[in-house]
Amino acid sequence: MNDDVIKIENLTKFFEGRCVLDGVNLNVPRGCIYGLLGRNGAGKTTIIRILLGLESPTRGKTYLYDSDSANLSAKLKGKIGYVAEAHNLIQNYRVGRLVSLCKSLSSKWNQEFFDHLLQTFRLPMDRKVSQLSTGMRAQLNLALAMARDPELLILDDPTLGLDTVARRQFLELAIDLLQKDGRTILFSSHILSDVERIADRIGILVAGKLVVDCTLEELKNRVKKLRLIFSEQAPQNLHLTEIINQQMQDRELVVTIANYSPQKQAVIDTFKPVTCTEMPMTLEDIFIECTKTEPLPLTVET
Amino acid sequence: MLTLIKREIEDAIVLVLGAVIFTAIVITVWVSCVYRGMSVLNIGSWPTAAFIFTIICCVMGIWQMRTDRTKKISSFLLTLPVTRRRILIARIITGFLVILLVLVPITITALVLLQRFGPPIPLYKDFFLDIFVATFLMSFACYCIGLHNGWSSGKIASTLGSLLLTLIFLPLVIIKGISPQALVIVSLFIAALLIRTWQKFMTTSL
Repeated sequence: MNDDVIKIENLTKFFEGRCVLDGVNLNVPRGCIYGLLGRNGAGKTTIIRILLGLESPTRGKTYLYDSDSANLSAKLKGKIGYVAEAHNLIQNYRVGRLVSLCKSLSSKWNQEFFDHLLQTFRLPMDRKVSQLSTGMRAQLNLALAMARDPELLILDDPTLGLDTVARRQFLELAIDLLQKDGRTILFSSHILSDVERIADRIGILVAGKLVVDCTLEELKNRVKKLRLIFSEQAPQNLHLTEIINQQMQDRELVVTIANYSPQKQAVIDTFKPVTCTEMPMTLEDIFIECTKTEPLPLTVET
Repeated sequence: MLTLIKREIEDAIVLVLGAVIFTAIVITVWVSCVYRGMSVLNIGSWPTAAFIFTIICCVMGIWQMRTDRTKKISSFLLTLPVTRRRILIARIITGFLVILLVLVPITITALVLLQRFGPPIPLYKDFFLDIFVATFLMSFACYCIGLHNGWSSGKIASTLGSLLLTLIFLPLVIIKGISPQALVIVSLFIAALLIRTWQKFMTTSL
């Protein structure tokens, strides 16, 4: 067995003739918190659903712990916790009944931790799931997944619908879980500050293609936003490849470059800018820059 | 597996209770008829009861599958240490148990009534056993029609399709008679439906 908990090989998925995933390759090693990013409809949920065997791929293969996703055994599923985007809990069950069902079907159940989560989230056991708010459903879903003490936690936009306090509690829980040895998290979210806070590897999906797959630090090193001031009018063209975005105003040029390197800096220097200042970029800034243009000029690193 | 069967029974509790009430009604009617002096063999409710029961079985199959689809039950269960195979097996076992829950007490009652009040001809005992086997297979076949069509996407189409298939299928068996050949055909029909349902359930997106 190798050290990759999640393995995706050339994954392609078509829905009614529309290509949703286009040859995605991705590996997530043990102990990694992987943040999967992408705009709505980019294919994040589809990847997760295929990984869990809820959806079948058109082409390609996905593996969890070296086992084909289409044939995951119950024993292996016992190692995986999943929080779905829409919190697909059984709506007509009371919370207590749902908890008892999950408890009896799970191979591991940490009652003490679950009680702690129930108290933290203040979840009513006697109410029907359909009567819970979106936030409460998210909390219940998370508590059910965490109580099983999973080795791999797959979270599909788990903080959707949570208020700021609950979101913070959730992130702290995820960090708690990670402190246990060998735990892996695959985490998709729209709230990029959350991903930035906990993820140590980032994947960005654009129109079904994985255009970025690297560590957060590497991503920040590879995408640079430079503010160049020239003594005269700024040049129209810097003759650089992989420019994600460029804004020009008189003597000032703000340019975002993918796969930044000293060679590219040398090309910029030939235009003799008076000043060249690097502008700090958050993950959100990088994400917006990356998903603004299509096709994206960033190269995938595997 | 027991947890999944328990869950299936709890979810279909209305139908399980309906089946119990149906059994109680049939037994009460028969016993009261016999005590009022009617012959055990002349009770005209036999085919009617069997017909109603097969319809109930069909509805139960549709109910289980439709509830699963609309409430996304399997979709949730599959996030737990459960496989599609186990979910479907638990569902089929539940249907099987409900059919037995109805047919066993009715058959025992019929045999007791026959022994106490029927004519002393051994042929009739075998006849009742044949009826039990045939009714069981027909009920199970109709249940499988319900399971198969209940998983289809159209709600009205699947319900009407199941009932139509049941209505066509039942007279065929009744006209053909409860011969070994007919039972083999019914068994093959059940096997085909179960294989198709299995195939659909294992491959559908949840």
